[in-house]
Amino acid sequence: MGKLGLFVPCYMSVLRPGEADFAERVLRALGEDPEVIEGRCCGQPAFNSGFRAESKTVGRELLREAGAFEVVVTPSGSCTSMVQHYLPELFEGSRREAAGALGKRFIEFTSYVAGHPRRADLSFRLAGTVAYHDSCHARRELGLTGTVVSLLAQVDGLEVRRLRYEDECCGFGGTFSVKLPEVAAGMVGGKLEDVEATGAHVLVSTDLSCLAHIESMAKGRGVPLETWSIAELLAKALG
Amino acid sequence: MSGYRERAAFEIREQRPAETVTPIMRKLVADSAVTIGHLPNDARERAEGARAYAASHLEELHAVLRRRLAERGIGYHRAATAEEAVAAVRRLLGESRRVAKSKSMVAEEVGLTHALREAGMDVLETDIGEYIVDIEGRGPSHITAPALHLNRQRIKEMLERSGRPLESDDPTLLSRYVRDVVGEFFGDCEAAITGANAVIAASGRIGVVENEGNVSLGVSHPRLHIVITGIEKVVADEAAALAVFEVLAPSATAQPLTAFTHFLADPAPGQERHIVFVDNGRSAIAADPRYREVLQCIRCGACMNGCPVYRTAGGLSYGSPYMGPIGAVISPLIWRDGRYSDLPFASSLCGRCTEACPVGIPLHRMLLDLRADAVDDRRAGGRLERVAWRNWSRAFRGRRRAQLATSLGRIGLRTGGWLLRGRDEDRRRAPAAVARRSLEMLQAEPVALFEETTLAEEPAPNDIVALFQARAAALGVEVVSRYAEEQGDRVLEAAAGIAATGSVLLLGDAAARRPLLGARRVVVRLAADRIVRYPRELADRLGDGEALILTGASRTADIEKQIVRGIHGSERLVVVLE
Repeated sequence: MGKLGLFVPCYMSVLRPGEADFAERVLRALGEDPEVIEGRCCGQPAFNSGFRAESKTVGRELLREAGAFEVVVTPSGSCTSMVQHYLPELFEGSRREAAGALGKRFIEFTSYVAGHPRRADLSFRLAGTVAYHDSCHARRELGLTGTVVSLLAQVDGLEVRRLRYEDECCGFGGTFSVKLPEVAAGMVGGKLEDVEATGAHVLVSTDLSCLAHIESMAKGRGVPLETWSIAELLAKALG
Repeated sequence: MSGYRERAAFEIREQRPAETVTPIMRKLVADSAVTIGHLPNDARERAEGARAYAASHLEELHAVLRRRLAERGIGYHRAATAEEAVAAVRRLLGESRRVAKSKSMVAEEVGLTHALREAGMDVLETDIGEYIVDIEGRGPSHITAPALHLNRQRIKEMLERSGRPLESDDPTLLSRYVRDVVGEFFGDCEAAITGANAVIAASGRIGVVENEGNVSLGVSHPRLHIVITGIEKVVADEAAALAVFEVLAPSATAQPLTAFTHFLADPAPGQERHIVFVDNGRSAIAADPRYREVLQCIRCGACMNGCPVYRTAGGLSYGSPYMGPIGAVISPLIWRDGRYSDLPFASSLCGRCTEACPVGIPLHRMLLDLRADAVDDRRAGGRLERVAWRNWSRAFRGRRRAQLATSLGRIGLRTGGWLLRGRDEDRRRAPAAVARRSLEMLQAEPVALFEETTLAEEPAPNDIVALFQARAAALGVEVVSRYAEEQGDRVLEAAAGIAATGSVLLLGDAAARRPLLGARRVVVRLAADRIVRYPRELADRLGDGEALILTGASRTADIEKQIVRGIHGSERLVVVLE
């Protein structure tokens, strides 16, 4: 007990190997000594596809691993929500309670940083302009919008632009974007236009999955846009 | 039969629904929030409470309701299936040949119009939007705005195909053209069919809301009035009905209340009134704790107004009378033969539907449960997908295997695209796996900024009379302190007024709808001390007979959501404050 885990979501290892280093750097700057949890998955892809037995099998392994940590920092609103709200419901009786208790150890990276007792000792500084993409799970399931936006406001020199239709989904939705590509492409097209309207060339979010989806459309349309996780932004702002 | 994906892809490619629907819905969602904000904070909670009570006490409430309806001489009929519902309506219609039908989702569900036409009856859809989609023949694309997917040019073309040449595609002209066709039909029809929004157990009255006045004509004109609705539409009492009405129009169309809120009581002498309650799977839903709350639905459409999937692929892509998130939940629960098993997958699970629902239905959670049901019943997830998930779960049981799987995924993504892509027109390309990059883009000059156009709303007057004046005026009602009588005026006395919605309440003879609709101008005298602040305060002022809440003049917004006043009934409503 007492240890801090840093859970690297499965898709992060696929999409951006090395991405977890950013979160780790910020955690170390806060004086923490995180241990990386890799090669695990919260079970959400199968869960959202209706394959609950498979989801439970996979999620159970992650919870088992979480048992060794007091807190598991998770750089993804989506995985955090899955572990907190949905995964425990796949278990029955006392196992559900145990899973619920383990699920509560998971905390989304941005809110962990924002609420850290030594947060005030750090100063973030980075000159430039970013737009903020509010991920649906961070917004609606975790209620993090205010936390994220006020943390970003503490980065010296950074201008943060909000999207006009901030509460609209980008159309990723995990397997949704694979199963219904025409609809997902339509949704992300609208989101990209909203991002472009801010004028910023860097888009930040708590969720790399949404960002990758938006970036894929930007790439296809030739729109100059980089997408950074909040962890990447904060790591760079450490100096 | 094609699935959701094929239909959605077709709509997106051929019809481009998002271009019409998205801007309309963005404005509607913003306006709805403002309208709901005019009510006390507990409005949604009260509506949810009223509907949750009904959904969990259905048979109890029906037992009471049945007695009350009998006392009023209203026929109570119960249909277990769609076929029984159609048969019951046909039996009640007897020899009637000309039937005026107003909007009812349950009628769509059981295929009533089609079935009656097959039986040789002349059935006219009298709601303007329904009339238009009836000509188009592809069905409604929205629960409250059936012709939402059609723009004015298309509507003009269609009306001309079935009728006469029209001078322009102005929504006022088009709406009034349909009004005239409908009005003429009402002149000699024998029966009217309407839906219901809340059937009140305690008093046996039927709550129906509408904007155009076609329901008003239907309930008062022909000798036979048949209501068709779902068994779940019962509510305990007047307070419950008002709790529902407080949120219904704001959530549906961003109106404070619809133009007409009817409380129908005893049939007039020489008139017959019947209600056909359709079960069609609802009792089974009520018995399943995972899905019971879906029976709380008031059919406002707020879930689809906010839904990004609905906006992108349109309502017709669902292929069901019920579209959007609510359609994706109830369609597979009503039609258990698997034809809609893929609809629960038509969601990115963003949760906006659950957030928008004014009666607290956890829609996106239900979508997840329905997905699991579909997989368990082998109605979703083909053999390949099953194998894939099994292997995926095996891979993530061992760390080493998971790391191998991750590496393979990475290679796959780099070499071809995993996110991507069924068709050439999908322009998404695999994103770059960037670990180190410069700050160049961060510091590039921002190129554009949208204009902030949010309008600051005028603060609402605190004084109840001033509030009434402001809200009524916003609906186009003339509020005066004296008036000169003109020829063709119908002068009535209001039993109450509602400040927050700018409405007046008419009781008994004053609620008689035929003379009201025939008047050139409706003048309502309202004593200032009879104004209450919110609809909920009318619960014990509705009397026991016919009651009608008027909120602005008869109107429609069925063509491009543009408001046209003066459909069936005068466009002039004058309130004389005394």
